[in-house]
Amino acid sequence: MTPAESAAKFRARLRNQAPAALALLPAAIVVAVVYVGSMLMTARLSFSSSHMLPTFDWAGGEQYSRLFDTERFVESTQHIALFGVLFIVASLTLGFLLAVFIDQKVRFEALFRTIFLYPFSMSFIVTGLVWQWMLHPELGIEKTVRAWGFAHFTFRWIVDENLVVYTLVIAAVWQASGLVMAILLAGLRGVDAELWKATKIDAIPTWRVYWSVILPTLGPMLTTAAVLLAVSVAKLFDLVVAMTRGGPGISSEVPAKFIMDNFFGRSNVALGSAAATMLLVTVVAVVGPWVYFEHFRRKGVRA
Amino acid sequence: MSAAAEPAGPRPRRLTLSRVGVYVFLVGASAFFLLPLWAMVLTSLKPMSEIQQGDLFQLPHTPTFAAWSRAWSHACTGLACNGISVGFANSVKILVPSVVASIALGALTGYALAFYRVRGGNLVFAILLVGAFIPYQVFIYPLVRIFAWIGIYGTLTGIVVIHSIFGLPFMTLLFRNYYSSLPRELFNAARVDGAGFLGILRHVILPMSTPIVIVAVILQVTGIWNDFILGLTFAGLANQPMTVQLNNVVATTQGTVEYDVDMAATILTAALPLAVYLVSGRWFVRGIAAGAVKG
Amino acid sequence: MRFKAGLMAFVATAALAVGAARAADPNSVEVIHWWTSGGEAAAVKVFADAFDKAGGKWIDAAIANGDQARAAGINRIIGGNPPGMMQFNTGKQLDELVKGGYLDTLDALAKAGNWAAVLPKSIAAASMRDGHWYALPVNIHGQGWMFYSVKAFKDAGVEPPKTWADVLADAPKLKAKGIIPIAQGGQPWQEHILFDDVLAGQGGSDMFLKVYGDKKTAAAAVADPKFKAVAETFKKLKDFMDPGEAGRNWNDATAMVITGKAGMQMMGDWAKGEFSHANQTAGKDYGCVPISGGYIIGGDVFVFPKQAGASDLSAGQKLLAETMFSPAIQLAFNKVKGSIPVRTDVDTSSMDTCAQQGAALMKDPSKQLPSLNYLISPDEAGALDDVITKYFNTPDETADQFVQKFADAIKNSA
Repeated sequence: MTPAESAAKFRARLRNQAPAALALLPAAIVVAVVYVGSMLMTARLSFSSSHMLPTFDWAGGEQYSRLFDTERFVESTQHIALFGVLFIVASLTLGFLLAVFIDQKVRFEALFRTIFLYPFSMSFIVTGLVWQWMLHPELGIEKTVRAWGFAHFTFRWIVDENLVVYTLVIAAVWQASGLVMAILLAGLRGVDAELWKATKIDAIPTWRVYWSVILPTLGPMLTTAAVLLAVSVAKLFDLVVAMTRGGPGISSEVPAKFIMDNFFGRSNVALGSAAATMLLVTVVAVVGPWVYFEHFRRKGVRA
Repeated sequence: MSAAAEPAGPRPRRLTLSRVGVYVFLVGASAFFLLPLWAMVLTSLKPMSEIQQGDLFQLPHTPTFAAWSRAWSHACTGLACNGISVGFANSVKILVPSVVASIALGALTGYALAFYRVRGGNLVFAILLVGAFIPYQVFIYPLVRIFAWIGIYGTLTGIVVIHSIFGLPFMTLLFRNYYSSLPRELFNAARVDGAGFLGILRHVILPMSTPIVIVAVILQVTGIWNDFILGLTFAGLANQPMTVQLNNVVATTQGTVEYDVDMAATILTAALPLAVYLVSGRWFVRGIAAGAVKG
Repeated sequence: MRFKAGLMAFVATAALAVGAARAADPNSVEVIHWWTSGGEAAAVKVFADAFDKAGGKWIDAAIANGDQARAAGINRIIGGNPPGMMQFNTGKQLDELVKGGYLDTLDALAKAGNWAAVLPKSIAAASMRDGHWYALPVNIHGQGWMFYSVKAFKDAGVEPPKTWADVLADAPKLKAKGIIPIAQGGQPWQEHILFDDVLAGQGGSDMFLKVYGDKKTAAAAVADPKFKAVAETFKKLKDFMDPGEAGRNWNDATAMVITGKAGMQMMGDWAKGEFSHANQTAGKDYGCVPISGGYIIGGDVFVFPKQAGASDLSAGQKLLAETMFSPAIQLAFNKVKGSIPVRTDVDTSSMDTCAQQGAALMKDPSKQLPSLNYLISPDEAGALDDVITKYFNTPDETADQFVQKFADAIKNSA
């Protein structure tokens, strides 16, 4: 290739790529300023002593040692862990069961599907308010069952500091298990009809087929569903605000709310930033590998 | 992914015990999913006296829509008693430009990433992907400062920009994956014909984008409508979306708690995404699964 | 690209709009405040109407919830688009704004209006930094009140309590009659108010001041067995509340006293607004007792952020401050607000009996205590909120554990 040729090629390449590069500019700016810039600033502030206004002095790990000394933060992480495990397991289980039962050539299939999935269209604020009323001892289920004649029936999980986290799980499972059903149902519909014929000839019980044959083939879809659910765990905030406001006491507090309170209510920017940074590190540690395997390694990115 | 129309499960036999069991399970599950909505609708139709006397699932003796009209036009959020309709108008004002801006930006970025080899493109994409999973709290404080500094904190512009920013990862992923699945020959042919970046986008790519745009619109309309924390933090007093206002209406009480009005307001707030869901049906399902499932 | 151009256009338009608003009428003042409940709104209208009548123009920017209102105002101040006046809490937050040079001083106004002479000393001190005035105090709220239903106590045949020992003795009698003895809102700030009332009422003013005072004296005061006794009394009150209290609003709790469903509520004097709203009269339908043993002084102040390109207060800002501080407006405003005038030279004889009790207590400095906003940072107050609400709502947490956590929270916070 002569220099002239390679220069021409370079110009051609520039002509081809320059508009694309320009088109990517807004995204690049967002990535640089918002995603990377804000993360770095949050991380930096967590090592300062900022109160109401951000200052960029150096306070070392002071905020972190205070953070792990703060009962509310430590309990918040325990609540979110308990909530996360129960929510994901229960949603996957219920969603799988719903999908399997709907897959039995039932009548009114479309109706059932609609019913199971509609809560997913609702916001966490609406979900939280609905369940707060359902579970309120002086309004909801307890009052109703008592009115039916069971005068000593009690169902007060939402005002019980040991059980309130489970009420968050109930509400969140109500909202999200239809999503799992929808994803898995698509997977079930992809199962080969020949497979069913074969298992029928061998007289294998249906539940065994689901358990040992179908379930493993749904692996990728289960992973997808689990990741989508996991995302909403780390972001859990709206539901708590609408449903319990973190109470009774601090028994349903979550990290996201701790962060918001410290940023905007308590003029404690440095401590809030430290908590946000902890959240960031946890999420990246969990999600980073998944993103890598899911989108880069298996297929490679076609640029 | 597309949901095949035919159930693939085992062939149904006659009405056996296990068939009955299937229906019992499905009906029981339906009750769990429907009861909260049912209770809300019933309560919103009852006068307060009936709510205090009876229970949540009792049918109203004298159904009334009074609570609905109060919720819509007179419910108080502190000082102002103009009802949830103000929030509805604000949510629409936020929704329309946010949906358009975030989809346009996502489509453009997705197109550039799918067909062009721009240096650093992969890095941008990787960070966006991870960013999609990071809770907003990590970004909120610096963004508030940056927005205050540019002068768009607490404005309509600010909240539209915010929704475009936080919609970017998912929208980019959606469009990039969709465009990657299109036959590349079309793109190459147009290129050989001398079409440029925008020409190919306009004449080749966009005409084929209808299905993915529908999915994106459904996702963004429900997502932005249901947002609470971003509206709370960035929209400012004059633009508070319906979810924020709903929470204020429920938290503001004068004298007795008006459950009928609260529940009517809640149903009104949920009405739009619910309608989108009921109307769009299978597209909705495709939308929620699309971003994470390949293709 | 197109999006970006659009964004820039958007930003430019927004900036223009902001600029236009700023260049408006010199007599107009935009006010950020968080007075949004029914009674509060009526009170703020007194200020707004008086200002408009005096020739100004009140531009109202009410934001429900003090945290959000303050955050919005602070972000606008830092963003270079400050409101003309904003409501504020005194304390550490004010320090930071003053230190950053974001606030105008009110020295000239204070001198002309003789503020130093007419304000109680504690309030004057809280409004000043380094000898300069930075905040305009407008009212005095008492936080340590117990409001009771006259009818509920009559039905139960019990005299209204005067001390915490009385409360513990009377509550079971109310309960026996099927009356909820104590109406409480289960939100951390309300539980903190209740705790402070026990701390000042049973522990004494001296203990109160030490616990919320200098960190060294605080450690010793918290270690005192009398502090543990306070914690025990506080926890006992939980037995006299209903299970529905979790998350309840303060005014919903007040409504329970108004209807006689509950016997009493410990709350600040803003609760009076709810009683008058329900057409109840102090001394006849409901009564008030300073259960904290004195007067826990809280109150609201307003600050005037420095405006871009202006070296001093505008004519409108000056007029507004003078209007709000004038004796007649002070009386009118505080009658509606439920608080008492911040000026000691206002005749309070036309106010209700509770306000007069309060005003009488204000004449005796030994009965006065500053509320938390004056004493500790929002950081420390928040950390203590968490400790108090946790203890109150965890049946098996002991008073000893609580004392330890309380001491740690004071030590760890700013």
